[in-house]
Amino acid sequence: MGLGRYITARVAWAAAVAFIIVSLTFLLLALSPNPQVQQAATQAALQGDNPQEAREQARQLRGLDKPIHVRYIDYVVGIFTLNWGWSTMRSQPVTEAILSSLYYTAQYSIPWTILTVTIGPIVGLYSSANKYSWRDHAATGFAFFGFSIPNFFFGIILLLVFGIWLEWVPVIYNTNVAVFSLENARQLILPVFVLVTGSIGGIMRVSRNESSEYMNADFVKTARAKGVSPLRAYALHILRPTMVPLSTTMVGQLLLLFAGSSLLVEVVFSIPGLGRVLFESVIAQDTSLVLGTTLVFVFVGVIGNLLQDITYTVLDPRIGYEDR
Amino acid sequence: MATQRPDRFDQVDWDEVTESSGFSLTVNAKGLLATTIPLVGLAVYDWQVLDKRTPTFDALGWDFDVPGLDYLFAFTILLFVFYVALPLYQNPRMTRYYWKEFKRNRPAVVSLGWIAFVFVVGLIGPLFVAAPEQSVLHSYQPPMYLSVDTANAGTCLGETANGRCFGTWQYPLGTTRAGKGVFAGIVHGMTISMKIGFIATFIAVLFGTTFGTVSAYAGGWVDEILMRYVDIQASFPTLVFYLLIIYTFGGGLWLLILLLGIFSWEGMARYVRSKALSVTEEEYIKAVKVSGASSFRVVRRHMVPNTASSIITDTTLLIPGFLLAEAQLSFLGLGDPTVASWGQLIAAGRDALAFAPWIVLAPGLMLFLTILAFNFVGDALLDALNPEAAAEAER
Repeated sequence: MGLGRYITARVAWAAAVAFIIVSLTFLLLALSPNPQVQQAATQAALQGDNPQEAREQARQLRGLDKPIHVRYIDYVVGIFTLNWGWSTMRSQPVTEAILSSLYYTAQYSIPWTILTVTIGPIVGLYSSANKYSWRDHAATGFAFFGFSIPNFFFGIILLLVFGIWLEWVPVIYNTNVAVFSLENARQLILPVFVLVTGSIGGIMRVSRNESSEYMNADFVKTARAKGVSPLRAYALHILRPTMVPLSTTMVGQLLLLFAGSSLLVEVVFSIPGLGRVLFESVIAQDTSLVLGTTLVFVFVGVIGNLLQDITYTVLDPRIGYEDR
Repeated sequence: MATQRPDRFDQVDWDEVTESSGFSLTVNAKGLLATTIPLVGLAVYDWQVLDKRTPTFDALGWDFDVPGLDYLFAFTILLFVFYVALPLYQNPRMTRYYWKEFKRNRPAVVSLGWIAFVFVVGLIGPLFVAAPEQSVLHSYQPPMYLSVDTANAGTCLGETANGRCFGTWQYPLGTTRAGKGVFAGIVHGMTISMKIGFIATFIAVLFGTTFGTVSAYAGGWVDEILMRYVDIQASFPTLVFYLLIIYTFGGGLWLLILLLGIFSWEGMARYVRSKALSVTEEEYIKAVKVSGASSFRVVRRHMVPNTASSIITDTTLLIPGFLLAEAQLSFLGLGDPTVASWGQLIAAGRDALAFAPWIVLAPGLMLFLTILAFNFVGDALLDALNPEAAAEAER
């Protein structure tokens, strides 16, 4: 099987996974009671009307009286034609609500990802080149601190110290400042710092342990003997084989934080991003918006896993395509 | 049988081995059965005979009701005693070896001590420290040796000087807005953390080990189907899923632990599978198969014990994730409000952060230290139990 066929098969599988998860989410929401129908029935009962009638009416209004397979087909067609429904909470189409919240999520996600992906492997390599020095121990300590401290707790503490006591950063997120301005950088520095400390530890550890395997490998010794500069030896001869297992950790860590802790960080720092929209729509029982935001997280997860597998095979030609 | 097992191969009494029948229970299994049967009996008695409001030990005149979750908790502790702690005692030579390897990592030894402390206090602490109770008059009492502006505290229990209220020994770590003692909350939070750690881990290990070993041993389409399922579960944004389910069905501690256990084992399944794949290639597995052992016996008696090191290492790295998830959901207000967990305390103190930071700081630090301890222990176990991995890294 060639690389082309492998990638095709992998993309097809990713599409299948996305489809299965979309179906499962539909099933989950179809089986759980609809709060809006419940509410209509309660209201009718309070006003002395027939609650059963009101319930039927509410179901009809939302198309819930149709058989489940018809609703399922409507739902799937809607997803692929980007007709994701109407958000009652925000009174705007779901796609619009998601796009506007993605704008805020991207503002901290992009610097966070770039910093993690660049600093993590460099510090890890440096640690393994200076193994058991005090710098290595300091880096290890920082790594353990970073992935052990709960992100939301760390965020609260930093906000308390720098926002409330020292008043260096604003406590309330201001959506009206320009993206590339000093104010925006000031209000985003803490969330980015919290997320970077959370995700960088694992990457530092893996790159340190994996690259120490290659520090004295024969091919590195050969390269050095031929007069390759230390920097080039680190960047091209040691970093490349290290990147293979590291890419897995990297995608895993970033995805885990993106779909998990970023929600908490958005709540702590009151950033109106995707995670908070999801959380608020769950609380407000805005079913269309819940589905829409969940789908964004699902697609990000599936695409991340796909990219990880493909970079894996591209980076390391030794990995056969036969065993997936 | 297991207790008499000699340390060295040349000391094995082969007559004894050949004489032992196919069906014999080990000391561990006997011990587990002997303790589990009364437990199940008590659970059935509590469930069938007594009505809901009668405390479990009412007949003995002891006003103590066992919540349903505690039966499972007790069972997982018994499992831990008979299948983790007892084997260590039965194999002193290996235990000494592992301890020697483990001891080289000093932070890990300290961490193990911390985990043991949380474990012991979590188990017996609630017997000595009463559960935190609301008392509206005692809101925002400061911790011992600290003070708070009298305008913020409720009726000040301690001394007041210069308009500041000082802490008392009644609430060594202060109180929340509702007047619940933070110290009592932390002790009871340890119990909750233990429950989450033990039960959710038990569920995750059960699924992860079964999927991993069966998948590696069976191979072919079984492997393909199981691992593709693991792929799907791994792509699912778990926290989002928890939010959806807990909000729809209400966030009892039961449901949370069940969810955490069932949707967290995909990493373990993959890890165990890769380890088990190398075990299947070993000569002894072939020998056992030729001797006519059933598939179940091969997996249970040979695959699982020989992948145990991977399972244990992965477990220590799984538990902090559970504790964190519970705290996160509680912080979002989706936890079980009747349960005194650390996450609930953090959530309770968030609004009063500016003048009463102890409510957030105390449980937050406990959570941080416990997660840190598990990470250190997991790291040291990885080195102690997988010498090849360590040798690779040290080269």
